[in-house]
Amino acid sequence: MSTNPEEFEFGSHIGEERVAGAPPHGPPSLRAELRGYIIGLVLAAVLTAASFWSLDEHVIYAPGIVMALIVLGLAQVGVHLVFFLHLTTAPDNTNNALALAFGVLIVSLIFFGSIWVMYHMNANMIPTKTLMQMRGG
Amino acid sequence: MTLLGKLTWQAFPLDEPLPLFSGVAVFLILIGIILWIWRNGHIPYLWREWITSVDHKRIGIMYFMLGSVMLLRGFIDAIMLRTQQAMAFDAPGFLPPSHFDQVFSAHGTIMIFFVAMPFMIGLMNLIVPLQLGVRDVAFPTLNSVSFWLTAAGALLVNLSLVVGQFDRTGWLPYPPLSELRYSPGVGVDYYCWAIQISGVGTLMTGINFVTTILKLRAPGMHYTRMPMFCWTALASNLLIVAAFPVLTATLAMLLLDRYVGFHFFTDTAGGNSMLFMNLIWAWGHPEVYILVLPAFGIFSEVVSTFSCKPLFGYRSMIYATMAICIIAFMVWLHHFFTMGAGATVNSIFGIASMIIAIPTGVKIFNWLFTMYGGTVRLCTPMLWAIGFMVSFTIGGMTGVLLAVPPADFQLHNSLFLVAHFHNVIIAGVVFGAFAGYTYWFPKAFGFVLDERLGKWAFWLWLIGLWVAWGPGYIVGLEGMTRRLQSYDVAEWHPWLLVMAGGVGIILLGILAQIAQIIVSVRTRDQRRDLTGDPWDGRNLEWATSSPPPSFNFAALPNVTDLEPYWDIKTRAREIGELARPEPQYEPIPMPRNSPTGFVTAFFATITGFSLIWHIWWLVILGLVGAYATFVGFAWRDHDEVLIPAEEVARLDRANRAARATRLQEQMAERESQRESGR
Amino acid sequence: MSAPTSALRTGRDPYHLGHGPSTGAPEYTGHGAGGPAPKRIVVGYGFWIFILSDVVLFSCFFAAYTVLIHARNGGPGPEIFDLRNTAEETACLLLSSFCCGLASLAVGRRSLLWTEVALAVTGLFGLMFIMLEVHEFTGLVARGDGPTHSAFLTAFFTLVGCHGVHVTAGLLWLGTMMAQFPAKGFKESIRHRYLCFSLFWHALDIIWIGIFTVVYLIGRTTP
Repeated sequence: MSTNPEEFEFGSHIGEERVAGAPPHGPPSLRAELRGYIIGLVLAAVLTAASFWSLDEHVIYAPGIVMALIVLGLAQVGVHLVFFLHLTTAPDNTNNALALAFGVLIVSLIFFGSIWVMYHMNANMIPTKTLMQMRGG
Repeated sequence: MTLLGKLTWQAFPLDEPLPLFSGVAVFLILIGIILWIWRNGHIPYLWREWITSVDHKRIGIMYFMLGSVMLLRGFIDAIMLRTQQAMAFDAPGFLPPSHFDQVFSAHGTIMIFFVAMPFMIGLMNLIVPLQLGVRDVAFPTLNSVSFWLTAAGALLVNLSLVVGQFDRTGWLPYPPLSELRYSPGVGVDYYCWAIQISGVGTLMTGINFVTTILKLRAPGMHYTRMPMFCWTALASNLLIVAAFPVLTATLAMLLLDRYVGFHFFTDTAGGNSMLFMNLIWAWGHPEVYILVLPAFGIFSEVVSTFSCKPLFGYRSMIYATMAICIIAFMVWLHHFFTMGAGATVNSIFGIASMIIAIPTGVKIFNWLFTMYGGTVRLCTPMLWAIGFMVSFTIGGMTGVLLAVPPADFQLHNSLFLVAHFHNVIIAGVVFGAFAGYTYWFPKAFGFVLDERLGKWAFWLWLIGLWVAWGPGYIVGLEGMTRRLQSYDVAEWHPWLLVMAGGVGIILLGILAQIAQIIVSVRTRDQRRDLTGDPWDGRNLEWATSSPPPSFNFAALPNVTDLEPYWDIKTRAREIGELARPEPQYEPIPMPRNSPTGFVTAFFATITGFSLIWHIWWLVILGLVGAYATFVGFAWRDHDEVLIPAEEVARLDRANRAARATRLQEQMAERESQRESGR
Repeated sequence: MSAPTSALRTGRDPYHLGHGPSTGAPEYTGHGAGGPAPKRIVVGYGFWIFILSDVVLFSCFFAAYTVLIHARNGGPGPEIFDLRNTAEETACLLLSSFCCGLASLAVGRRSLLWTEVALAVTGLFGLMFIMLEVHEFTGLVARGDGPTHSAFLTAFFTLVGCHGVHVTAGLLWLGTMMAQFPAKGFKESIRHRYLCFSLFWHALDIIWIGIFTVVYLIGRTTP
C-alpha cells in the first residue's frame, strides 16, 4: 500500500496526503523543499518591503495607498499559505481549502459587517450636544 | 483580608433568608450525596469508569446528566419568575428587584449555556461516532476536557448563589450597565468567567466534532451517505467553531473594561456600547442555530424511524442545513433593529432574517412528506417530534413577524418576543432533546423507558408550553415589556396568572419524567433491549449492542448505501440468517482513560473563582497548575490500551446470538402471518 | 488503523463529492470514504480548524480597532506609531516563521541537532519580537498614551497585545517541544505535536501581516 503515513511527513503540511503534486513513493528532496521555503521568504520580504515603501506618498497616488496596502497584504497571506503552510488546491486538500474558505467568509462577515453596521449606528446617533439640550429643555 | 482579595464574610447572604436557605440546602444535599457515594465505596468506580473516562458515550451521558440537573435549577428560577409576576400586580411580590434581576439573568444563562448546550452536545457525543461507524471521536481526551470545563462553568454559576451574587444585567450583560461603574459587584464577573471557561470547552467540542465528522467515518461512508443527524451536527459544530471565538473576544473586551480600565464599551473616553451589541449578537444569532440544528437532526432520525420510511428529500435536507449554517451569520442585526442603524441596514437584515425561514420550511415539509404514506408508530419520541412540528411552526412564524423592522419596533423587548423565543427554544431544542433522550436511552443504558409515563410527560409539557407562553403573545401585544418586577396594568394580570399555571403544568411534566426514570430503572429487567435495535432503526448506531461495548464495533462496518443498517437487516430477512459473516476478531487499541480533563477543570475553576474575587496569587497558581497538567499529559508515553481479541469476540458473539434469535422469531412471525392470511 | 477495502475503489468521483463509490487513486484523501483517516491527518486537520477559529477571534479585535480608530478622547491617533519598530518586528517574525519551516524539514529527516538549532533560532527571533513589542508598549505608556486613555488606544493595545500573548504562549510551547525532542525522540505523537506547533507559528505570522497592514500602515493613512 502506497499510503503508509510515515512516508509523507515532511514540512508543516496541514495534514493531508500529498498525493497530487508529490511523487507517490519516497520523500521529496531536501533541496526542493528548502527551495520552497526560500522562495516564500524572499516573496514575503519583497511584499513586506513594498507595503512599507508604498506608504511614502510620492510613490503611489495618495488615495490609492489603502487599496495597494490591502492588495499587498492579501498577496503576502497567499504566499504564506502556499509556501509555508503548503495549502494547495489539489483534491487531497479540498477539506483544508474549504475550511479556509469558510473561515474567510466568516471573518469578512464579522469584520466588514461590523464596520458597516457601526458606521450607520454612529451616523444616526444623536450628537451629545443635542441630547443635552433636549434634556435641559 | 488582602490575601482573599474582595472575598469577605459579606459575600455570603447571611441577611437574606431565601438564597441562604436554598444555598445551604443545595450544599447539604451535595454533601449528603458525596458522603453516600463515599460510604458505599463507589468513588473508585466513579473515578475509574466515569470521571476519567474518555469514552464518547460516557461523556455524552455525563453531558446529559449535567443538563438535566441544571434544567431543574433553571426551572426553579422559572417558577420564581412566573410566581413573582403573578403576584406583583400593584404589589411588591416576594422577590425584591435586586433578587428578581439575578433570577432572570441566571434563568437565561443557565437554560442556554448549561441546559440546552449540554443536552445537544451530549446527544452528539453519544450518537455521532456510532452513526459514523467508528470507535471514538477524533480527540477523546480533549472531549473529556471539554466536558469538565463546561461543568466548571456550571459550578461557578451555581457558586454565585452562596458566595456573592449573580449578574443582574440579563443573560447578555449589555454595557454600559454591565460596566464597573454601574455594576460594581461580582455578578458580571461570575457571568463572564463562567461563560469564558465553558466557552473554551464548547469551542474544543466544535473542533473535535468537525474533525470527527469530516475525517473519521466508516469505510464507504461518503458525505451523501451520512445520517441526517451527523449532517446537522457538522453544521452546528462549524457554527460553534466560527461563532464561539466571537463570544470569547467580546466578553474579553468587557472584562478588560472592568478589570484594567480599558474603554471598549464604556460611556467615557470614546467607548462605544453599541459595539458590544453588534459583536455579542454576531455570536448570539448563530448560537440559536447551534442549538436547534442538532434538534432538527434528531427529529429527522425519529420521524424516519417511526414512519418506517427513509427520510424524504435527503439531499434537500443537506442543502437546507448548510444554507442555515451560512445564513445564520448574516442576520444578527435583527436583535437590535431599534438601536437605529437606519432603514438600509435594517431592511437588509430584515430580508435576510426572512430568507432563513425558507430552509427551515423545507425541513418541515420534508418531515411531513416522510410521514406521508409511512406506517407511523406513535411512540414517545415520535410524539415529541409531532409536538415540535406544530409548535415550532407557529413559533417560527411569530419570528418572521419580528423580522419585519417596523413590526419589531412595536414588539421589541416586549413579552411577545419572550414568548417567541420560548416557543421556538422549548419546542425546538428542549423537545428535540427529549425526543433524542427517549429514542436513544435504550442505546445508552440497554433498556427502554416507560412509554405510558413518557406520553404523560409529553402531553403535560406540550400543554404547559402553550398555557405558559400562549398568553405571553397577548400581553406582549398589550404592551407588557420583559423583565418587569412589578406592574400596575390590570389587563395583564389574568394572563400572567394563566402563565403561572402553565409553569405548574410543565412542573407536572418534569415530575412525570422523573417518575418515568424511577419506574423504568426498577422494572429494567422486563425492558431489556437484547438485540441493540429496539425501534427497528435504520442507521449504524442500532447495528451494535445496547449499551455498546467501549470499542463500539467489533469490525468497522462497510457502508454501501444511505441507511446502512436497514440494508443489513433487509438482506438478513431475505436470506434468513445474519447478513454479515462473523468477522475475524482482532485486538482493538482504545484511548486510555485520563484525569487530564478533570484536573484541568479543577484548575480552571480555581482560576475563575480567584479572578472573580481578585485573589491574584491564586490566579497564578491556577494557571501554573493548568500548564503543568498539559505538560504532564504531553509527557505520558502509553496513551492506548489494547482490548484483547477474546474479549471483543465474547461481546460481539453474544450480540450476534441475540440478533440471530430475534431474526428467527421475526421469520417465524412472518411465516405464521402468511399461514393465517392464507 | 484498519486497512481500507479495495472493493470500494471502483467507479468515478473526480471531485470527491461523494457521488457513487469512492475513486481509485488516493486511498486516504481524508474524505473518509476509504475509512477513518490516519492520525496525522486527523491531528493536522483538527488543529487547522482551531487556527481558523483563532483567526475569527482576531477578526473581532480587528473590527473593534477599525470601528474605534476615531474615538481618540482628545488623545493621539495612529501617528504615534514608530514604523521603524514595526518593520523590525515584521522582520523578526518572518525570519522566525522561516526557521520554523526549516525545523520541520529537520524533523522530517529525524535530525535532532538541526531540529534543536532551528527551533532555538525560531525562539530567539520570537523573543526579539516580543521584546520589541514590549519596548513599544512601555514607550507609549511612559508618554501617557496608555490603553486607558482612549477607546482607540484600548483597541490598539488589545489587538496587538492579544497577538503578543499568542506569541508568548507559542514560545512556551516551543520550549516544551525543545525539551520533548531529546527526551522522547521523534515519536509519532511528538511529531504530530510539532506539526501543530509549526501551523500555529506560521498562522501567527499571517495574523501579523493583518496587524502591520491594518493597524500600522492603513492606520497611518487615517486622519
